[in-house]
Amino acid sequence: MVEHVIPKNLEEALKYLNAKPYKVIAGGTDLMVQHRAWSALSPNFKTPLLFCFNLNALKYIKVQNDEIAIGSMTDLETLLDHPLTPEILRKVISVMASPAIRKVSTLSGNIINASPAADSLLALYALDAKVVCRSLHTEREVLVSEMVLGPRKTQLKAHEIITEIRIPKTSFTHTTFVKVGGRLADAISKVAFVGCAQIVNNQVKDLRIVLNAVSATLIRQKAIESQWLNKAPNVLQSQMDTILEAYEAYIQPIDDQRSNKYYRKQTALNLIKQFINTL
Amino acid sequence: MSTINRSVPKVDAKDKISGKMLYVSDLHIDGMYYAKTVRSTISKGFIKSITLPELPEEVTVVDYRDIPGKNNVKMIFEDWPVFAEKAISHYGEPIMLVVGPNKAIVQDVVNEIDIQYTLAEPVFDMVNSVVDYHFTKGNPESAFKNAKRTIKYTYETGYQEQAYIEPQGFIGTIEGNKVHLTGSIQAPYYVKNAVVETLACDPSDVRIVQANVGGAFGGKEEFPSLIGCQLAVALKKVKKPIKLIYEREEDMEVTTKRHPAKITMEAAIDENHHISAIKAHVGIDGGAFTGLSSVVLSRAMIAATSAYTIAHLQVDGDVYLTNTVPNGAFRGFGAPQMIFAVEMFMNHIAKDLSKDLHAYRLNHLAKQHDLTTTSGTFRDPILMPQMIEKACEMSDYHHKKTLYERPGSYKGIGMSWFLHGCGFTGSGEAEHIKAKVKLRKDEQDNVHLMIAAVDMGQGAKTTLMKVAAEVLKRPLETIHFDNPDTDQVPDSGPTVASRTAMVVGGLVARAAKQIKDNWVDGKVQTVHESYKQPEYMSWDQATFTGDAYPAYSWGVNVVEVEVDKASYEVTVKNIWSVYDVGKSLDDNIVLGQADGGTAQGVAYGYLEVMRHKDGKIVNKNMTDYVIPTAVDMAKTETVLFDNPFALGPYGAKGAGELTLVGGAPAVATAIEMAINKRIYKIPATPEYLMELIHSDNN
Amino acid sequence: MTTIKFTFNGKAIELTTDPSRRFLDVLRNDLRHTGPKEGCGEGECGACAVLINGHIVNSCILPLANVHQQEVMTIEAFSKTKRYAIIEEAFIHEGSVQCGICIPGMIIATESLLNKNPDPTESEIRIGLSGNLCRCTGYNMIVKAVQRAKERGRGLW
Repeated sequence: MVEHVIPKNLEEALKYLNAKPYKVIAGGTDLMVQHRAWSALSPNFKTPLLFCFNLNALKYIKVQNDEIAIGSMTDLETLLDHPLTPEILRKVISVMASPAIRKVSTLSGNIINASPAADSLLALYALDAKVVCRSLHTEREVLVSEMVLGPRKTQLKAHEIITEIRIPKTSFTHTTFVKVGGRLADAISKVAFVGCAQIVNNQVKDLRIVLNAVSATLIRQKAIESQWLNKAPNVLQSQMDTILEAYEAYIQPIDDQRSNKYYRKQTALNLIKQFINTL
Repeated sequence: MSTINRSVPKVDAKDKISGKMLYVSDLHIDGMYYAKTVRSTISKGFIKSITLPELPEEVTVVDYRDIPGKNNVKMIFEDWPVFAEKAISHYGEPIMLVVGPNKAIVQDVVNEIDIQYTLAEPVFDMVNSVVDYHFTKGNPESAFKNAKRTIKYTYETGYQEQAYIEPQGFIGTIEGNKVHLTGSIQAPYYVKNAVVETLACDPSDVRIVQANVGGAFGGKEEFPSLIGCQLAVALKKVKKPIKLIYEREEDMEVTTKRHPAKITMEAAIDENHHISAIKAHVGIDGGAFTGLSSVVLSRAMIAATSAYTIAHLQVDGDVYLTNTVPNGAFRGFGAPQMIFAVEMFMNHIAKDLSKDLHAYRLNHLAKQHDLTTTSGTFRDPILMPQMIEKACEMSDYHHKKTLYERPGSYKGIGMSWFLHGCGFTGSGEAEHIKAKVKLRKDEQDNVHLMIAAVDMGQGAKTTLMKVAAEVLKRPLETIHFDNPDTDQVPDSGPTVASRTAMVVGGLVARAAKQIKDNWVDGKVQTVHESYKQPEYMSWDQATFTGDAYPAYSWGVNVVEVEVDKASYEVTVKNIWSVYDVGKSLDDNIVLGQADGGTAQGVAYGYLEVMRHKDGKIVNKNMTDYVIPTAVDMAKTETVLFDNPFALGPYGAKGAGELTLVGGAPAVATAIEMAINKRIYKIPATPEYLMELIHSDNN
Repeated sequence: MTTIKFTFNGKAIELTTDPSRRFLDVLRNDLRHTGPKEGCGEGECGACAVLINGHIVNSCILPLANVHQQEVMTIEAFSKTKRYAIIEEAFIHEGSVQCGICIPGMIIATESLLNKNPDPTESEIRIGLSGNLCRCTGYNMIVKAVQRAKERGRGLW
């Protein structure tokens, strides 16, 4: 039988991780489903688990060096209610899953699960959020968008745990989140969209567009965004086809049990267009 | 007029709210074993070999060779094996049970069983007809010959999953020769009769008890007979208490669903633009085995003109077998598919003829004394004109229609008119079911309803107890109604087909009257009643001629929607309903049926998507098969019209299914208005709407 | 094997078992509390809901380890409270209960919602119940019951 561990504190967790490649488990909302067995039997985990959800040292939201720092075991329901939570992140969390799931879900869990349809990642990509990965002897900071390599694949190393999510302070005049799911609540996205923009004196000073569920990882193309900076919104609107064409190259959805490629692609483009038309 | 409709607290509400109510998976017997089903992993072919691992002590494998009687789940046709022998007809077909006291060991054995197959080419299209029915009314040929024009469209409907929140299951024990099964079921005697045939035993050696049922909606009508037979065979072999509870994915992959259907409608239009005749072909996908599909097909065909009267009809139908999960009973039982087709067809004809939808439909609405599709008679008053008017007034239909018909509104309001035949189709009640009820008064003057009716949430306990209390003029607390146990109660039929309040309730009322008339304080008194067909009813099953139902319930649904301009997602904003269920036996209960039925019916029309890929259900869990949440469900406003039916208790007719059957066309016609395109299939998903919007059809 | 200590329905308890087990299995099989039901096994339907530190959580995807040193309350204990009495009356009055399998979870969701927000709007109620699937009722009578409970239970939350 696999020996799972509940560490008493972060230091102990880091020591365990250093000794053996434990799988860190937070709320378990993804892992427990992925590994479920016949009812009443233990889930079929092949690697030992390190239960970190109740590490109080990793439950916080605070301002730190001009960034919002979120402890990696902070649950989404707490973030939803917290005044420091960036607006766009709050909007996204408010329609994620259900109150019961949000209470045990974490941003770090979402990042490590690395689902192409993850909603929280939309906001984290848009906000240029970073994760802090710690091991017993090392600490590094990585952009969330670089952390995620593919579906359920990240560059977290065997002895590391995510301890913190850092979100640079930003200010936007426009933030939009649209989730397209199978129903209005408690759904997995067919496609979802985050758009943020800062318009000053009728000039686009900052533009961020993120899409999920239309490629293996979320789409954020800073190169496209930067082409349209320092222009008036109506310039963007008048060149809509150019913008959409640029994104179209990256939108490569799949057919699955929830939707189809054609719909996902068209809707993704419609959402970009709708957002730009509101600037 | 009776005030029986006044709501009372439901008799079982407290136990359910507090969590004290035990369902089958909550039952525990010390020393019980657990059973897991081993299933085929191909859609069609033959079992070449089965290699079992060395079986640990106390683990038993149970398969077709252990069946003492027939390897058939007793229904209508003999084509549904209890366990597959050689031939495999669908993915997930049960091959054997592995039974043992330790779940982990049972699971290990299941994992190590190696089954090799010879593959055959599966059939997924509706080409292999095993049942074909036909009937006519009037002279359709001549009407078509004389038609000024004809209009023809084809409509398609998808799967719908019952999605009861409690998966299927049984727990069983054996004492000597006697098998005792307790399960989540709608039809105790269906299970009993099936088990008796499979075990080839004396009927007194099978006892079936209904566990508290956590939702059924038809899904626990015939399917539990299969599990019951398998478990009974296992009990005979293992001789230990055994529990068999389905996991959610197993339940969604292998249990019966609403039949996908393809319905072609052709209308003959006369010189007055009136529909003189309709030819309809109803094709339903039965899945791998016939099961109840023939009866589902009958109900669909008989609803071929729904709430309208058309003078001449030709109705043909087929059940096609495919190598997919067997389809079966689901609230509405063929009617939701047909009523969707009829309502869309009426709208599409009116559009083709540039007629006002509302007026055109009103012109064809059925009236009292009209002939039904099967040339029976609508004997009772039909209140539809008043009901429609009420629905229009409640919803502000005409005003909203004018607003929303403007191009680009992306808003719509849709309406459906419909009926539902109450009770079994044709001679089913009189010839097959022959319902019996027993009432027993004990020495304390408490009256016990000894009936096989199942309360699966629809409130059968409360309503039938109210009927008895009202007849007896006794307090509700003195009436008792335990979950049916086939050792105690006679066969009052399955709890299906919107028959319980009307048919069983009618018998309960008559039996209660007998007790009342012969009442002696403190004396044990027992009375029996059995079903008698209303004298006016005649039915010829061979030609589908006569009165298909003793009575009809009627309904109007109005649904208002908004469609998102970027994603084409549909939001249902409001639902208004008007129903004639004869007489409500409890307003809260009927309104609860109305809300729940409408939620299912509307969601069937736009939200609930289930598909198979190469015979495997892809939307096989509650995440991927989406049913409405509290956020999705619109506000409802429902009005009940009294229209007492002489033979129902206090005038009650059927209510359970009626509330579902009109939902899909109401939401689909609303969406048509919002996007200004015609809808030919449900569910009308955003993916389908996008196709329509990008197409030239209008 | 790990020893898990938590407060269960007001009492401190200890269990030594595999900490990765689903809390629902521990509740139903080890502690024989069958109020929480298994509907979907994947956190979608809410029939298995319990209160952890006063907030709704789905026990079917909750590893036992995560209740270590937490306060757990199930419907069995909640049904002995004053707040419950108010909610029960409302559910009966509004006819909110049909088959009943989702109802213990709905009661837990109601308590969790009112605990956090004693005066929710209709829309907030619907969101609060959105993780609890009901196939019988179409929800509206349940929403009405929560509205009635919040009115009649003012001051309790």
